[in-house]
Amino acid sequence: MAQELLLTRNIHRERSETIDVYLRHGGYEALRKVLKGTTPEALLNEVKASELRGRGGAGFPAGMKWSFLPKTKDKPRYLCVNADESEPGTFKDRLLIEKDPHLVLEGIILASYAIECHTAFFYIRGEFHRGARTFEKAIAEAYQKGFLGKNILGSGYDLDVLVYRGAGAYICGEETALLESLEGKRGLPRLKPPFPAVVGLYGCPTIINNVETLANVPYIAERGAAWFASIGRPKNTGPKLFCLSGHVRKPGVYEAPLGIPLLELLNDRAGGMLHPDRPLKACVPGGSSMKILPASRCDVLLDFDSLAAAGTSLGSAGGMVMDSSTCMVGALLNLAEFYAHESCGQCTPCREGTGWFVQVLRRLETGQGRPEDPDLLIDVARKVEGNTICPFGEAVAWPVGSYVAEFRSEFDDHVTRKACPFGAASVR
Amino acid sequence: MPDPNPPAPPPGPAPAPQAAAAPAGPALPPCGPDEVALLIDGRPVVVKKGTNVLQAAAGLGVEVPHYCYHPGLSVAGNCRMCLVEIEKMPKLQIGCATIAAQGMVVKTTTPRVGTTRAAMMEFLLINHPLDCPICDQAGECRLQQYSAEYGKGQSRFVDEKVHHDKRVPIGERIVFDGERCIKCTRCVRFCEEVTGTRELTLVDRGGHAIIDTFPGKPLDNAYSGNTVDICPVGALTWKPFRFQARVWFLKNVPSICTGCARGCNVDLATYDHKVHRITPRQNADVNGWWMCDYGRQTHLPAQEGKRLERAAGAGAGSAGTAAGDALDQAAAILQAAASRHGKGSVAAVVSARLSIEDLHAARTTLAAAGIERVAVPPHDEGADDALLIRRDRTPNARGAALVGFGAPAAATAAALAGDIATGRVKALLVIGEDPAGDGWLPASALQNLEALVVIDAFRTATAEAAQVSLPSTAYGESEGVFVNCTGRAQRTRAAVRPQAAADPVWAILRELGRRFGAASSWTSAAQVFEEAARTYPAFAGMTHRALGEIGAPVRGE
Repeated sequence: MAQELLLTRNIHRERSETIDVYLRHGGYEALRKVLKGTTPEALLNEVKASELRGRGGAGFPAGMKWSFLPKTKDKPRYLCVNADESEPGTFKDRLLIEKDPHLVLEGIILASYAIECHTAFFYIRGEFHRGARTFEKAIAEAYQKGFLGKNILGSGYDLDVLVYRGAGAYICGEETALLESLEGKRGLPRLKPPFPAVVGLYGCPTIINNVETLANVPYIAERGAAWFASIGRPKNTGPKLFCLSGHVRKPGVYEAPLGIPLLELLNDRAGGMLHPDRPLKACVPGGSSMKILPASRCDVLLDFDSLAAAGTSLGSAGGMVMDSSTCMVGALLNLAEFYAHESCGQCTPCREGTGWFVQVLRRLETGQGRPEDPDLLIDVARKVEGNTICPFGEAVAWPVGSYVAEFRSEFDDHVTRKACPFGAASVR
Repeated sequence: MPDPNPPAPPPGPAPAPQAAAAPAGPALPPCGPDEVALLIDGRPVVVKKGTNVLQAAAGLGVEVPHYCYHPGLSVAGNCRMCLVEIEKMPKLQIGCATIAAQGMVVKTTTPRVGTTRAAMMEFLLINHPLDCPICDQAGECRLQQYSAEYGKGQSRFVDEKVHHDKRVPIGERIVFDGERCIKCTRCVRFCEEVTGTRELTLVDRGGHAIIDTFPGKPLDNAYSGNTVDICPVGALTWKPFRFQARVWFLKNVPSICTGCARGCNVDLATYDHKVHRITPRQNADVNGWWMCDYGRQTHLPAQEGKRLERAAGAGAGSAGTAAGDALDQAAAILQAAASRHGKGSVAAVVSARLSIEDLHAARTTLAAAGIERVAVPPHDEGADDALLIRRDRTPNARGAALVGFGAPAAATAAALAGDIATGRVKALLVIGEDPAGDGWLPASALQNLEALVVIDAFRTATAEAAQVSLPSTAYGESEGVFVNCTGRAQRTRAAVRPQAAADPVWAILRELGRRFGAASSWTSAAQVFEEAARTYPAFAGMTHRALGEIGAPVRGE
């Protein structure tokens, strides 16, 4: 049976970003249905039952997150949409924002209704100029058609959605740094607890959801939790957008049910390796922050639990494919430079460790490494991991630790040869 | 960035591990409704709800090392030095941001905690210049202290350190060294939360992150010196103290500041008979952890001002007058005026900057001399601020009233000046005040006086005009009790030797009093205070010893 496209149903249509096209193809039907008689609580329970897990990286069940909101309503509640997609190798939310903004918007309205909030903020990555414009336009169209604003579709429910553009910091994709940034402050992650569901934006209860997570909500609202849960694998339900980049013939975003085998995605959907004579060397399945899998361990299913069992994570499903020509030291140096540049500088291990990684890796890549350097990298990574304010520590420690551990001989080679065996092409 | 920590705990306070599930070990003691009991390193402790693990441990004498945490500021949790192990929590937790919960089992001495502390030390030092030999903080630096206690003694870092600007004058009185800074943000939080002036912020990211001032907004608030005190490293230094003394030579003498009616508790750091700096000493009932920049200069007049070097009397040569002769002369000219113009023609000006001891001695002596008319001039400046600074710049206005001189009043001073101008008052004894210099007693009026006796530490305009001047000790040279604006009696202490011929005011007045027939025989400020405590009900039962380092409210407060 051919897979029914859900998240990418509209993206290839002419002017798919307009409300007319969206409406012509069944758009906002879920919202109409819900506002006709579904209570917020019932919708929340439906999302809970669907076992929809967050698509931002952590894979936390969305419905459960919503239910953490305090029952009292003495303060306003906010929904913050995390559209600060910045994870290297990840470009799925951009596709939705630019090509099917109304699917996302319908999801936002439904989620806001379910958590009984009346103001939602769309925090979009600063570099997404086109996405921000497109989404602003989509919001304006939705106001015009009565899907936003006061008394939506005569239901008595009010909602405003505001677009806020980031200023270009990876860390603002971390949910509490996002809140700080949204409040107009420097984007530094907050200490948890308290969690945003209790003390979030402006001190009020706040739910932060990823763009793709919310794009699933209209389907759950329209077709039910049971239908949704039938897609994918147990506890790993629903459709998913997978990014593939690197040494692959057809890089891009692919929709498939959670649990599709990595090799099927790579070979059958993305056309296999870019160069037939250069076999697969390694793949990062989940965006640059996740642990790397050597080719020998790439026969895995792409879902949260399968990848966790394989010692890595689905993360943001930003798959990065590396062929046999890739220098792992150079690849890691490239990543380390990114993390050193993006560390917010707030807490000690990350602020100091990220810069240290870069210096050691640069020495290794330029042939000035010392025999003890690979062990040093692993040890420093271990001391960053788990000791930071936010998950950025893991986001840098995991790749550093896993690249060195999985490709140890290559790191040692750089030391003994006093040069990069691949010609140090990646050193700028 | 994907969040690799999926199991988000439920909202609200972290669930307390059940006491029943606590492993074998000492049983938890019972505790009240506002308390929790927990185990720290196997030892039970009961703390108030809301206490963090770091403070709870401190209560047991267990030090959890920390840089960014300060009890007077919000919790930042950025230094990561206070990571401790807590049972049932997979990751180490920071002691500053973890609230003690019933049945919690905290471990601060495990190998894992030790390894992590060593790791944080290594991280903090890789980009630190290690310029201790020329750093003013050396000797009271937490990097040094924790390095010795928890570090490994060597670094694996062989690469280039991150460079920042050094010797940046970020304020009138403060110099910033960007390379020594560990970005704990105590200074930033102080300026946000305590003064509300917000001069400081963190700029740039990652290893390049650094403290800076906002453009056009130097760190010049009235409390800027506190940022230097709370800086755990040598990043912020106090200009007047830079390169003045190695701190291990300094001896801290607990005292109070006499710059205003607040009476902030301070330490006088002395070396080689000189006060080198004044820093706040914690007193929750007075100044918390802070003091103002003005107060940090309280010792300077004694060192830099024009002092009265020796007793001087009428007809004295350049060598001055022997103290005894000057006292004889003082008594003689005051008595002569009284017999010539009547008792009402002799008056005194007494300062609310004097200690209780001095004020009591003044009362005794004035009574013996039959001087009834006394003015206590006020010294007001600006307005009370929201933090510590008081408009009333006298440290003992409340004390002057309690001793019976009445509160400082401009009107009585003005009336006295008027009577001097009209010739009704012919003789004046001035103790610790400068009516001429302060402008309320014009030179023309001074000329009407037949007798002017001044007791002061400084060569004031009034002292210059006096027939007899007697040198007294200045701040830091003598001890005494002062009653602050909230009615708290607190002690100053002598930190350095008095200047050559200077005596405490009470001792000078004892000698002057004897010449009028008084029979005081005090030989120490403590004795004067004991007599004062028997005399004035507000001080009943108080002694220097009982007041100790933090003082006590006077009776009726």
